[in-house]
Amino acid sequence: MAMNPMEQFTIKPIVPLHIGGYDVSFTNQSLLMVVVAVAASLFLTLAMSKRSLVPSRAQSMAEMSYEFVANMIQSSTGEDGLKFFPFVFTLFVFVLFSNFFGMIPGSFTVTSQIAVTFALASLVILTVIVTGFARHGIGFLKLFVPKAPLALLFLLVPIEIISFLTRPISLSVRLFANMLAGHTMLAVFAGFVVLLGGAGGVLSVLSIAPMFLIVAIMLLELLVAFLQAYVFAILTCIYLNEALHLHDHH
Amino acid sequence: MAAGTTSSTEVPAKGAGFPPFKTETFPSQIFWLVITFAFLFVVLWRIAGPRIKGVLVTRRGQIDGDLAKAQSHRADAEGASAAYQSALAAARGRAQALAEENRQRIGGEIDRAKADADAAAQVEIAKAEARIAASRGEARAHVAKAAQDAAIAIVARLTGDTVAADEAASAVRAVTGG
Repeated sequence: MAMNPMEQFTIKPIVPLHIGGYDVSFTNQSLLMVVVAVAASLFLTLAMSKRSLVPSRAQSMAEMSYEFVANMIQSSTGEDGLKFFPFVFTLFVFVLFSNFFGMIPGSFTVTSQIAVTFALASLVILTVIVTGFARHGIGFLKLFVPKAPLALLFLLVPIEIISFLTRPISLSVRLFANMLAGHTMLAVFAGFVVLLGGAGGVLSVLSIAPMFLIVAIMLLELLVAFLQAYVFAILTCIYLNEALHLHDHH
Repeated sequence: MAAGTTSSTEVPAKGAGFPPFKTETFPSQIFWLVITFAFLFVVLWRIAGPRIKGVLVTRRGQIDGDLAKAQSHRADAEGASAAYQSALAAARGRAQALAEENRQRIGGEIDRAKADADAAAQVEIAKAEARIAASRGEARAHVAKAAQDAAIAIVARLTGDTVAADEAASAVRAVTGG
């Protein structure tokens, strides 16, 4: 009777596709990623198509998202971080739209897949490493050497290295686990509604309770959807700041 | 829908395992992620970003320009107000000077007219006094003549003598002390 709450995370092929021995079928997840990319592109270009000085509601939202990310970068990395604006903006918009489209019942949450979040996090860390070495050369390794007495460095340097290496994991798992947990919870309570409703009698009436809970969790999940996109983007900014300025800004 | 499941805890018969950890789906996930993310990146980088930035910059420029224009208009207005105030003060000063001058001129005319009138009146008074003195002398002469005639008539009645006019006149003069 009840659905498996993990069922919603199953990737199902729509159009089977194989390239070079790899299964790159167009799946329900691919569809949502295309929807996200196209919707975000359309929203951010069409809303701005009039370029009016006094913005419409849609244009105002597009501008707000732009300024939100621009301010985020500026406050955490300074002016020279703004050259990473397109990257951070894309990350933020992609994660935000993925999270929000995942809230539509029956759709698919792109960011509830560890492969996607880990790929995004790896892209961030890769950008950080490339930027760091391009900017400071081998001096970028000073990032792992905090200002501390020599004796402590034997302890601190490994800790710094480990904390740096775990960043892609923490960055990806945070987003993945948040989306996964929220949607699982929703599915579990939805299962309760179905179970109680089908039980008959007093229990059917009681099914209204998990229903209200779902509404409440839904609102919470909308907040989480935004918050996780924000956290992903701001952590990217913070990591980029380290690559740009090492420990100077602290 | 998981057709093969009977309860929420049971694992689906087909494709067992936690769906996000199914590594066989990873190539497809990464493949489509790269395509869609790259597409979105290019759109935001090349089209949406510059467009939004353009609008924001234009608006900031417009607002700054308008503020500067308003500032200069205010300065103009303040300048005009100051000029008006100084012109007003100057005009007021001139009006007061003019009024003072008029007052003095009119005062002078009045004084002059009064002096003229006084002089004319003095002349008239002198003339009139002269006339009065003349009349008084004439009257006194008439009175003396009458007394003289009366004295001649009285003497002629009492004595029958005819007194010469000269005698009578000196007699009258002696009596009146004239």
